[in-house]
Amino acid sequence: MSERRSDSQDWDWSSPQCRAQLDEIFFRQHDYIQANSPEHQEFWTFFERFQRFKARKEMAGSKNNRGSNKAESHEGKARKKSGGGAVDLGLPKVYDARYKINVSVCSRDVEHGFGSSGHRRHREPSGPGRQEIADCRLALLHFLDFTQKQSFGKVVKLRQEQKNLPIFQYRERIVALVRSHPVVVVAGDTGCGKSTQVPQYLLSSGFSQIACTQPRRIACISLAKRVSFESLNQYGSKVGYQIRFETSRTPATKLLFLTEGLLLRQIQQDVSLAQYQVLIVDEVHERHLHCDFLLGVLRTLLALRPDMRLILMSATINIKLFSSYFSNAPVLQVPGRLFPIQVIYQPVPPEEQASKSEKLDPRPFLRVLQGIDQRYPADERGDLLLFLSGVAEISTVMEACQTYAAHTKRWIVLPLHSTLSLAQQDKVFDIAPPGVRKCIISTNIAETSVTIDGVRFVVDSGKVKEMSFDVKAKMQRLQEFWISRASAEQRKGRAGRTGPGVCYRLYAESDYEAFAPYPVPEIHRVALDSLVLQMKSMGLGDPLFFSFIDPPPSSSIQTAVTYLKEQGALDVHGQLTPIGRLLAQLPVDVVIGKMLVLGSLFSLLEPVLTVAAALSVQSPFLRSAQHNPDCSTARQPLNSDLGDPFTLLNTFNAWVQVKGERGGGSKKWCKRRGLEEQRLYEMVNLRRQFKELLRSHGLLEPEKHSVQLAQDRAQRRKRLTERQRLFQLKREHDLQEGSHRKVLCLEEGLGGEPSSGSDSEGTRSGKKDKDSAGQDMDIQEVKFKLRHNVSELQEAAYISADLSSRQQVLLRLVLCRGLYPQLALPDEHNSTRKDSEQVFHTCNKQGVVIHPTSVFASDPEVLHVPEYESSKFDADKGQSSRHQLLAFVTLLETNKPYLSNCVRVPALQTLLLVANSIDSNADCSRLVVDGWLELNVSDGEAALRALSSALTLRGEWESLLQAQLVHAGPSSTTGLGFTGPKLSRRKLEKLADGLIRFLVYTEVSYSLRRLTALQPQNLYIGPQLNMELSLPQLFPGMSAEPDPVKGGLRVTNYFTYNCLCDFKDLYSECLRIFWSCPHCDLRLPLTPLERMQHEATCRFAEEQLPEDDPDTLKAASSSSLTRLYHCDICDKDLTLTSTEILRHKRQHLP
Amino acid sequence: VISHGVARGAFTCELCELSSPYTFYGQKPPNTRGIVLLEECYGMRDPFNPEKEKFLLLGSKCSVCNKTVCVGTECSLFYTKRFCLPCVREHLDQFPEQIQTELAKKKSPNSRDRWSPEDEL
Repeated sequence: MSERRSDSQDWDWSSPQCRAQLDEIFFRQHDYIQANSPEHQEFWTFFERFQRFKARKEMAGSKNNRGSNKAESHEGKARKKSGGGAVDLGLPKVYDARYKINVSVCSRDVEHGFGSSGHRRHREPSGPGRQEIADCRLALLHFLDFTQKQSFGKVVKLRQEQKNLPIFQYRERIVALVRSHPVVVVAGDTGCGKSTQVPQYLLSSGFSQIACTQPRRIACISLAKRVSFESLNQYGSKVGYQIRFETSRTPATKLLFLTEGLLLRQIQQDVSLAQYQVLIVDEVHERHLHCDFLLGVLRTLLALRPDMRLILMSATINIKLFSSYFSNAPVLQVPGRLFPIQVIYQPVPPEEQASKSEKLDPRPFLRVLQGIDQRYPADERGDLLLFLSGVAEISTVMEACQTYAAHTKRWIVLPLHSTLSLAQQDKVFDIAPPGVRKCIISTNIAETSVTIDGVRFVVDSGKVKEMSFDVKAKMQRLQEFWISRASAEQRKGRAGRTGPGVCYRLYAESDYEAFAPYPVPEIHRVALDSLVLQMKSMGLGDPLFFSFIDPPPSSSIQTAVTYLKEQGALDVHGQLTPIGRLLAQLPVDVVIGKMLVLGSLFSLLEPVLTVAAALSVQSPFLRSAQHNPDCSTARQPLNSDLGDPFTLLNTFNAWVQVKGERGGGSKKWCKRRGLEEQRLYEMVNLRRQFKELLRSHGLLEPEKHSVQLAQDRAQRRKRLTERQRLFQLKREHDLQEGSHRKVLCLEEGLGGEPSSGSDSEGTRSGKKDKDSAGQDMDIQEVKFKLRHNVSELQEAAYISADLSSRQQVLLRLVLCRGLYPQLALPDEHNSTRKDSEQVFHTCNKQGVVIHPTSVFASDPEVLHVPEYESSKFDADKGQSSRHQLLAFVTLLETNKPYLSNCVRVPALQTLLLVANSIDSNADCSRLVVDGWLELNVSDGEAALRALSSALTLRGEWESLLQAQLVHAGPSSTTGLGFTGPKLSRRKLEKLADGLIRFLVYTEVSYSLRRLTALQPQNLYIGPQLNMELSLPQLFPGMSAEPDPVKGGLRVTNYFTYNCLCDFKDLYSECLRIFWSCPHCDLRLPLTPLERMQHEATCRFAEEQLPEDDPDTLKAASSSSLTRLYHCDICDKDLTLTSTEILRHKRQHLP
Repeated sequence: VISHGVARGAFTCELCELSSPYTFYGQKPPNTRGIVLLEECYGMRDPFNPEKEKFLLLGSKCSVCNKTVCVGTECSLFYTKRFCLPCVREHLDQFPEQIQTELAKKKSPNSRDRWSPEDEL
């Protein structure tokens, strides 16, 4: 031993050089463990521990040196004994821990033979000697053995957990049932393990190509993650997921978790779903719209695919319904795993019950907190979960609870609802410090979607807010209801997941008995527009006769059909129109889909993509930041008084620029403006999906590969290494994800931003916040960069940020035509009302207000008719050329009916261009639009001119749109893609120009009002017997026929001439007035109809003229990205892209 | 070249019934240079390690009774060869004292989950 010591005098195990020398022996490039890998680092940590342990043991050994004979004698005894045994195992005589390791390592010293006995080489002055190599080898063997034991231990633990699940006993029965029956229902309550285990049972018994649907995207990801981990395939792709923007699916995937909506889309592509052998539909009891529909579709699909296996999984709710829908499919019931829960009914005393207008009284909730504090010692862990109906209720109760918490220091109060930022939502999973309980105040989101462990107490208010659709008012409504018994049980169950619990119900047991047994299925509550559209495109026949598991009221199907007809998605016979077919493919609301299609026609695609994406995700503007003056100031430059979609557009564009310039700095940028960055990430993903969809349907030219080819090789390589680095970062993130939860501090629940604190505690929590934010930002940023080409996005953002005012006019028209008929009229007395009391009317609902988050709520003056105009004529009250309408995305009634996401548009011009029904009197001075808006134009001449231009423009617009759609149609089915632009760019530009001119330069003074309820009855003259039928052709290819209901003449499918009852002479249509054509030299006395006819043919002829100036044409068609820019400083006209313009401008900066 | 790609079957321990698909059997885990096993083993890719080459040994055959057993300390031990615990108990006297005390220690609970280098030597 002493010899060894002297030998190792100059050998230092902790020196990096010494280690590096051993690395060259044991951890070479092709060895099992390579230098600088994570395992390599772990090894050296292990090594230190191992050496310390050995040293300790040696010390202990030398102390007991004299006693060592004892051990030897023991061994001698043992051997003696064994000598008498029947079988000799042939074990070595002296114990060595090394014999316990079943691995050997072939390292460089072994391969090259040095260090072996006989050829004892002289060690280099500082190199490792035989002893060092032996020490390292021994440590390595122990390390390998240790890592094996670690991993194997994990497998054992996993298998044990699986065995402990209630469903494990039913494993074989489930597989047998699925083998012998086409449809099986597995019913089990929370915690029985059905969602994770059933797919695995099927997988391990030989089934493959399994699809398992989930109602929520997040569940797809987490289940795929969990199941791949449990089936020991964490790093393979046997188990995958597919959701709207993300997939981990590969050809090797055998089990796929996907959303119900996505499976429906797949059926749309392939009716027989040949790609799957087994379908599992999970959570069928939740009765989501998609799920109910999916079940109906699958029922018919099973007839086509007798080999297909379908498994329905549900909670033990209404199982009979599902079984009998699939001809009495066998049901397997699995008990849940819940601990006993004590139910305490504590009805709210009458004096504490809030009437409709009042705030919720928090006292009943506070009493529960107090009761818990009195009854249960603080060192007994267990958190509290409170179920309330909505956000307003949550903040009321939260305020009271926080006061109590600040006093007792025993509670951390946390809200939980879907409009919170994700970071805030995530806090409910963090751990309370000892002696403190979490009090989570939640909507019904915690009933099924979010599962929080460690809850011991539940308070159930018994209320829920549910969305319903008011068919009559065409309005969504968020109303408070009593929950169902099934929901009450679900809420109660949340208290018994980790141990016995208590559920306080703030209603009487008799109330509970009176609850409905189940919640109302979504299909009975919501608008069915998208559903009916999808049914039509799947060729499922008349939706009224589709055999739903629980058919919706036929009135709501009819409403949807009518709506789709209004939108132009269905024709009069209820068949899909070309645009309808396309809309059915887009996974968005019909109105948003229309915007996309319309936007692709003009060169407005980039801004329209952004707006459509922005309107399809939750608002990025955090409610909590609304009252923060700093946020408002920072947001100010993003606001647009044109409307909320423009504010969203500005926000997105500014964010993209920040991403491009500062990368990860965008997180801070968002925080200062009170923006939830996650929503912006969603927008950028959705935007890209829209773009791809439009491209695959031939509405967009294919990507220009030439640009990529032109990039030089070095640049490409740079991008490639960058991507590799990003992938590495993402992998590292995935590995450490969800590894540990933070411990909350007592101040955390006290609301407000933690950074606002000035004391040491404040800075501490602020720092913590920054750290976690830093990590979070990294991965989002990485994903963003992996998915998107930032410079391409920047280019797109430049284009849409730099819209000329003319383009903005056109964009508003496109948005409005998309949103039509969702229009609202400002009340005529608004200019005399306070900002907060502005009232609007829609076609079906009077007296709606603008949501406080809208720009028009804070700046309603932009909607008022300028005073100097309206007061100019005393006789013609309300006459102006500046009337405006609001096009809105949603009308939702909560405590009031609110309009959200509004754009303002010029009333007369827009109506003439988009309305489905325009009726006029004889001289067109009075127009009624869609039966509810009346326009009185003082100057009949001007009215006629406007109407005539509108008819022409609409005709052109429609024919170009149809040409685009027809062109799009076949290419999407043959998969050949875009076959080259067939639409004349010149025609499109001319149309765009015409529309813009019409919107901007139509100066007509008119009054605008809503017809009162009685007026429509006496609106029309009705069919006239003495009507002349042989009228001249008004427009090429269009005929005017008497309208059988309204009377007058149907000039186009949206314009009926002279059908309005009028105080003026019925025969004014025959009155000829001298008129000169603005397009040719014609000057003749003509009737209004004759004038329109002439104008139409005159313009038609004008279009046939040979193409004008070839130079301008060339400039216009050269690139959609470049445009003419006049630089005031150089005083030159330049043709540049938007980015180039910006660069050019920067040149001039000092 | 053998890889961990395809499962060759299911490994099941005859004592504790632990079961898992295995991707190789033998003394040479696929794609590993310099590693040789001292017994014929059932193994798979280490499911908890992102690197494809890392393997996990599941079990092997008892050198006495030829039963397939997992490497878990509840079922078997390796001491120059694999022994299932029933066989170890039967021939306990032939094993060195250290192994005997280790086995005796195992009877007490809680010693399973925590690993310390002490257990290893």
